[in-house]
Amino acid sequence: MVVAGRERTEASTRAPLIELTGVEKVYRTGKLDYRALRGVDLSIGAGELVAVVGPSGSGKSTILNIVTGIDRASAGTVTVDGQRLDEMSEEELAVWRGANVGIIFQFFQLLPTLSALENAVLPLDFLRRGSKRERFGQAQRNLELVGLGDKVDHLPAELSGGEQQRVAIARSLAADPRLIVGDEPTGNLDTVTAAEMFALLERLNEEGKTILFVTHDRELAARAPRVVEIRDGLVVNG
Amino acid sequence: MVSASVRKSATDLTRRRARTFFTVATLAIAVASISFLAVPTLIDGAMQEEVRAGRLADVTVAMRPVELSDAQLAALAELPNVAAVEPRASVDVRVLVGERRAPARVIGVRDFAHQGVDVVRVESGAFPDRRELLADVQDANVGVYDGRAGDTLTVVRPSGEDASFAVSGRGRSLPGGEQVQDEDVIVLYAPAATVAALGGEAGYGGLALRLDDSRPGAARATVEAVRSYLRTVPGFAGFSNLPEVRAPGDWPGKADTEAFAQLLGVITVLALLSAVVLTSNTMSTLVAEQTREIAVMRAVGARRRQVALVYLRTTLFLGTLGALAGAALGILLSSLLASYFASAFWAVDVGFGVDPVVLVVSLLVGLFAPPLAALPAIRRALRVDLREALEASGSALGGQDAADRALRRVGFLPRTMQIGLRNVGRRKRRSLATAVIVAFAVGNLLAVLAVADAVTESTRSAWGDHLEDVQVSTGGRALFDQRAEQAIRSTPGVAEVEPVLKNTVALAGRKAVVWGVEQAPLLRYRLADGRWFSPAEEQAGERVAVVERNIAQIVGVDVGDRITLATAAGPAGFRVVGIAKSQQEDGTALYVPLTTARALLGRPTGASAFWVRAESPDQALVDRTTTLVEDRLAALGYEVASEVTYVAERDEVEANSSLTTTVAVLGFVIVAMSMVGLANAITTNVLERTREIGILRSIGARARDVRRIFTTEGIALGIGGWLLGIPLGYLLTRLLVWLIWEIVEVRIPVVFPPVNVLIALVGTIVLALLVLFLPVRRAVRFRPGDAIRYA
Repeated sequence: MVVAGRERTEASTRAPLIELTGVEKVYRTGKLDYRALRGVDLSIGAGELVAVVGPSGSGKSTILNIVTGIDRASAGTVTVDGQRLDEMSEEELAVWRGANVGIIFQFFQLLPTLSALENAVLPLDFLRRGSKRERFGQAQRNLELVGLGDKVDHLPAELSGGEQQRVAIARSLAADPRLIVGDEPTGNLDTVTAAEMFALLERLNEEGKTILFVTHDRELAARAPRVVEIRDGLVVNG
Repeated sequence: MVSASVRKSATDLTRRRARTFFTVATLAIAVASISFLAVPTLIDGAMQEEVRAGRLADVTVAMRPVELSDAQLAALAELPNVAAVEPRASVDVRVLVGERRAPARVIGVRDFAHQGVDVVRVESGAFPDRRELLADVQDANVGVYDGRAGDTLTVVRPSGEDASFAVSGRGRSLPGGEQVQDEDVIVLYAPAATVAALGGEAGYGGLALRLDDSRPGAARATVEAVRSYLRTVPGFAGFSNLPEVRAPGDWPGKADTEAFAQLLGVITVLALLSAVVLTSNTMSTLVAEQTREIAVMRAVGARRRQVALVYLRTTLFLGTLGALAGAALGILLSSLLASYFASAFWAVDVGFGVDPVVLVVSLLVGLFAPPLAALPAIRRALRVDLREALEASGSALGGQDAADRALRRVGFLPRTMQIGLRNVGRRKRRSLATAVIVAFAVGNLLAVLAVADAVTESTRSAWGDHLEDVQVSTGGRALFDQRAEQAIRSTPGVAEVEPVLKNTVALAGRKAVVWGVEQAPLLRYRLADGRWFSPAEEQAGERVAVVERNIAQIVGVDVGDRITLATAAGPAGFRVVGIAKSQQEDGTALYVPLTTARALLGRPTGASAFWVRAESPDQALVDRTTTLVEDRLAALGYEVASEVTYVAERDEVEANSSLTTTVAVLGFVIVAMSMVGLANAITTNVLERTREIGILRSIGARARDVRRIFTTEGIALGIGGWLLGIPLGYLLTRLLVWLIWEIVEVRIPVVFPPVNVLIALVGTIVLALLVLFLPVRRAVRFRPGDAIRYA
């Protein structure tokens, strides 16, 4: 089955930001080996907005994890923004992620003891980039960008689901990364909030960010200029 | 095939191996701490065996040397209730140990082959013949003399001449070993004839008796019968000290051991209290972590009872492992402790032993305490809202109360440390319990350190009251007289000499020591109440006494009261004029005018000791003067033992510190337990927040960031515990000081030096960093992908 999508934009023809070649991923759980990816070749250009779709267990999230260096490929090469992730150590990957990738999780994954502003500034703290004042200034601007300028001191528990996801987006923007990835970023939101969130991602894309997200939501996927479909660990379309 | 729920109970343990290990370790240490209670039983068992093997005397009487024929000894043995009698002679000499002259006591045995009481047994080598000496095993054990068979020993006789003896081996007897332990004197055994030759005087200075009926009434009657018989013997001038009657089942040092065991019991109770908090904390964590699974089981139809059973079974499994490991550890620990004490104090081998009562209690506590401790947590978990529980992700909420707001205001720390600090507030009950466990350790440490300081301070102040540089005593065969006093006075280097007459008495059944001293003694006495005796009272030889506060309080005596002392010369009435707080004789001294003491004992010029002050406190001069005094007195035929004040003070401070070190080592068990508790809490936190670690790593946290978060959390818990531990430590110090007074009847001051509080802080942080190492390493080793998927 082919998932409907818009025409490919020019972006995909530009120099690729993400390049996966022959990527395989085997999970070892107890006595069983599970092959999540079976030789994925995928190229995503800078400035693209790409939705990754596929049934449960097809390997969608695994692709995101490989692209962000959260998981390591069992075989193949992974190049992001000119860097070979498969050749980097865990520590190098952590620092690289903090500087170059913004990640948005399905369950927001904010730290419960930190306020919205502190959550949004966290990647900059880890990067130790700029002065404390500069970091907070950046985080404040990002929160304003996502429409939460008036709730910077709220704890996650004091925010709605949609607001928490906005904080997560602000956090992903902290280091002004070129790439933003989302693992079901709207999966835990109602349709109205989900639409708002997608609009936000579109806006970021228009500002030049490359956006890659996994979704189950066909309608949402249809709004992305490019849709990559994964099935049984292989790219079948896109 | 086991049911699914039983299987879950077991797999819950194997799934979290690190936590299971820590929990079992915690339980094992707690159970093992109960074994401290077995130590006195084990020691008592070994000592009773020693009492049987050595046929320890039921009654011992001391007298000025009297010659007794075989027929007279046989007659004594025929007296009603006397099972066996053994005459004892002894002479105090000095022996050359290397270049040093050390005080020694040679105990004469009438016939080594036929001993009926206080048997001297050969440990190695052989019984001595007339030119040989047998060293007591305690000589080497206490460290005063480590001679063995084949060595040669030079004895300086009371007359001052040297004589060489071969050492025939090592032997033991409880009374001999006790003298080494109590007086730091080298005890040697020899045939009675050798002792007579060394002392230049024949006769026996004491009798040791075993009785058919050793109950106090029967023993007293027998003592009277012995006294009556001895009165028919030429040269007998009464008993020189109060007859010692051993209570049935008693052995030398038993009271001290029991007092020490009671203190040990206090530490055990503290350890158990700590263990209760720790166990209940561990159990509630174990259950709380599974809130979601409990909800799942409930959702698929499990009844509350069934769910509760799953976890009760899990805790029972844990309890079984903890009880078995703890009982084994406890048997080992109690045997080691008992062996250590018995060999250190009496050179007696305890071997490997089990106190069945303590073992059963340990097993029961180990088995059933964990399920009981888990019950409240299980009840809580069963009552949570099903939907909420199903959505529980383990760490969804951050605290929002006043404490959390206060923690959020700590803004000057790096972000990672702030996160760590705030995490403390996320599981308040657990954090508090962990801090309480640390507080127990800190409080215990502070109390032990404070008591050690107080004991040292009180020893120093008791010795500081001694204005004499050396005390020269007689060995007990004969008292000093004026000739001796003249000899000391004319010795170069001597500035001042003062005669003292000490004698053992009983006050209301309690052992006490009368000190006959001058009106203005070389003793800086301190009065708690009343007054010192006056010059007029001294001149008139009035029966007035100043009583040490400890014994006064124990027997309920106050200023103005009349007391009756049981003395070797019979009962004597005294009027109490003052209460002293000088802590002499561990607070059991009674000070009376020297003239009164002399009249009481019928020795108008006698002295059991002289307090001597040298011309300067220079230690070399004191040592030289002491040697000169000893030589002069020996040349005049006196038996001399001297105690140099600065040496005795140093020795006592050392002896006390080894005792308090022992208590501190035991206190370490509590510290170990609390550190296991801290490790357990942090391990649980790491496991519970594995996903969160993954998220942090995903947004750029480096290993050191994650390390810092958890280390801060652990240190914060440690410091929280330390803060709670300070007041607890103060209360425990007061409790221990009170207990030492109640149990050991020794009064020590309450001191609480701030430097100890700092030591405890450093110790807490260092230990916390050590125990945090493993869980924190685990936290940073997770790959972000694995951490995010962790369930």
